[in-house]
Amino acid sequence: MSIERKFQIAAYVIFISLIFAAPVIGDEFWLNRISKYLVYGMLGVAIALTWGYAGILNLGQGLFFGVGAYMLAMSLKLSSLTSLQQGSDKPVPDFMLWNAEPGAPTELCCINKGSFLWLPFQSQSVGLVLGLVLPVVIAGALGMLVFRKRISGVFVSIITLALVLLVRLVMVDAQPVTNGFNGLTDLGWLTIGGIEFDPYSRATYYLCAACLSLTLIGARLIVETRAGMILQAIRDDHVRARYLGFDVSLYQVFFFVISAGIAGVAGMLYVVVAEFASPTFMDLSFSVTMVVWAAVGGRSSLLGACIGAILINIIEAEVSETEALVEAWKAIIGLIFVLVVLFMPRGLGGAAHDVVRWFVRKPKPGQPFPALPQQSEVL
Amino acid sequence: MSAIALTIDGLGVNFGGFRAVNNVSVTVFDGELRVLLGANGAGKTTLMDLVSGKTRSTQGKVFVYDTDITNWPEHRIARAGIGRKFQIPSIFRDLTVRQNLEVANCRNPSVLANLRFGFSRAEADRVDDVLTLTGLEAEQEMTAAYLSHGQTQWLELGMLIVQDPKVVLLDEPTAGMTQAETRKTAEIINNLKGRHTILVVEHDMGFVREIAEHITVLHLGEVLAEGSVEDIERNPKVREAYLGSKGIS
Repeated sequence: MSIERKFQIAAYVIFISLIFAAPVIGDEFWLNRISKYLVYGMLGVAIALTWGYAGILNLGQGLFFGVGAYMLAMSLKLSSLTSLQQGSDKPVPDFMLWNAEPGAPTELCCINKGSFLWLPFQSQSVGLVLGLVLPVVIAGALGMLVFRKRISGVFVSIITLALVLLVRLVMVDAQPVTNGFNGLTDLGWLTIGGIEFDPYSRATYYLCAACLSLTLIGARLIVETRAGMILQAIRDDHVRARYLGFDVSLYQVFFFVISAGIAGVAGMLYVVVAEFASPTFMDLSFSVTMVVWAAVGGRSSLLGACIGAILINIIEAEVSETEALVEAWKAIIGLIFVLVVLFMPRGLGGAAHDVVRWFVRKPKPGQPFPALPQQSEVL
Repeated sequence: MSAIALTIDGLGVNFGGFRAVNNVSVTVFDGELRVLLGANGAGKTTLMDLVSGKTRSTQGKVFVYDTDITNWPEHRIARAGIGRKFQIPSIFRDLTVRQNLEVANCRNPSVLANLRFGFSRAEADRVDDVLTLTGLEAEQEMTAAYLSHGQTQWLELGMLIVQDPKVVLLDEPTAGMTQAETRKTAEIINNLKGRHTILVVEHDMGFVREIAEHITVLHLGEVLAEGSVEDIERNPKVREAYLGSKGIS
């Protein structure tokens, strides 16, 4: 095993140990906040997988995150106390009652035209399963359409961007079913096998930490397979890959779907931690922010993108809460982006890689320093 | 007589009225090395595009042995046994040299079949053999983007050898090479002779003499002549159309 590889494994082990050790130093409020950042870390991994490894810049990752979030939020909404105390023995979301027409039956089936869609969500497992399955199905269908047509590069970005805005519009517009702009609030707790996940408990934090660790390890293993290598080959030259006999679109769809699945699970976890789902998850700015996290962390490094997401959010929280910087925090975050893009084009992950290489292969006197590989531009 | 490896039967393409390739019929026998000769615009590369599926033909058929592959998608043509080297070398720039060959070494092209780690001893040996043949052993851990032009061409040839197609299409494998590099390329190609059926597009006559048995001359999208190197050199039509009055120099 090469020394670089040992460093990589060490980095994963240290990172995972750190996130599992974090509850020792913080209170519940802090843990809840870090849980959210761990969820963002999963989004960083999802972006790095498609952008760094497949060369697909998805500017609508928020779609999969949002769909995952809404699916679980609908289930949790129905298990919330507010839904059970609406004068009916069956749960009905409070906003449906507030907006119900006079005389409408207070039943999920028919309180308004779309409310029957909520019926299956009376079971939490339905929300949990759909939160993973629906993003995956949407990504699969979208991927088949886009990649079969050999659409690539910036056009994929434009399509995904337009799609997330479209879905956001529909979600806001379908106010009777989705509570529109307000989103779903007042949610119950997720309960799996008798364990209640109170958002301010260690159990919830460990759930997020475990999901992030599994995502990181799983994604890392999958890019180490032959399929992962072929995917990178396709990123470099899809024409060449075709003439070697690979059905390029199947590989792209496969990894696009995995990325969407990760985003869907992240969306569900976010709902558990933050206790709401809102159309802001599908704002363009949120999807672009994910890409920025991955760019700062290093899009060709799964761990780098993950750390990038967590680090930027910690800095953002610290800066925005420091009184002297309240007005300036956005400028400071912006400055960090600019500096990273200018001086570390491959992000933190790339910089770490270079540092390790430098220590491992110190040039002998009189010999030039070996050239470092440059990432070719994806767009 | 051995089997026919590649049959091009009346193949043609019509680009909005312009017939870049028109009614071309060529048969290449199993294990043969055939050179395609022709001036710029004669339709050599277009013919390769038609055979390998990059361009859809508007007339005629292509067979690999008994399989009709006319207008199949590229990856299926590749699986049917046609490998192609491009005029502009095309490799996976951000992978290492070894990984480039390993990608070509993935026999089963499906995604799920490739969800596994590493390569068997036999597969690794195969990659090692090709690294030796192409002289890239020392560079195997290097990122492919840093290879010289000649090495890049050899790497692409190496990928073809690992891929092990029945029929190999080579589009100007010596373009832009120094004399020494050209000689080494000829060596690699001669090494492939017999084991693969090869169709080469080439301009460099010295190189053609070194490798060719049989030549097909294209002119303005049609077959002008076919024969051995001597036949072609003597053929008055070829001299007039392509070589000029001085013959092959």
